[in-house]
Amino acid sequence: MRAALLTSLGAAVLAAGCIPVQIQAPDEPIEINLNVNIRQEVIVRLERDAAELLDQNADLFGGTTP
Amino acid sequence: MKRNFVLAGLAAIGLALTATAALAQAQDSALAQARANGLIGEQADGYLGVVPGATISADLRGRVDQNNIQRRQLYTRRAAERSVSVNEMAAAVACEVFERPRIAVGEKYRNEAGQWRQRTAGAAIDVPSFCGD
Repeated sequence: MRAALLTSLGAAVLAAGCIPVQIQAPDEPIEINLNVNIRQEVIVRLERDAAELLDQNADLFGGTTP
Repeated sequence: MKRNFVLAGLAAIGLALTATAALAQAQDSALAQARANGLIGEQADGYLGVVPGATISADLRGRVDQNNIQRRQLYTRRAAERSVSVNEMAAAVACEVFERPRIAVGEKYRNEAGQWRQRTAGAAIDVPSFCGD
């Protein structure tokens, strides 16, 4: 009797754990726009390369100005 | 005999190099002149541009194009080495040009929004927003 009670309790708990959760997908696709940040980060990373290109090819760019 | 031939060849190469250097310098001064006259200027995209309304000769336009082709080659090579896009490399160079700056007072430049401005002694250059601090 006790065993039966425990079994049914366990079944109830199990059942409770298995309640299907319905998630509705949004109609609009989620859009994450990180363009600006990525770009800025990349450009900061390229700073040394850019300076080097300028120095090594001074004839292609304007002269140094104060 | 053979040796003389080699020497002549070396001399020819030397002459050619000197001529090329002279030509590059000549190109330089024509572009520098146009820059100072406000006909052309640096752009926020890392290339040279022709100011709208400016009347420029076909020769000058050719020099601008040639300059930009050379820039693009540099950007492309370095971009490949760093695994970034050519536009990003070009933009990074533009940041250096605008921040150092390589734009003299009186010269015109094209800002990020695409508007042409003239650098004046009093006002700060309109540096592109993607340049960071």
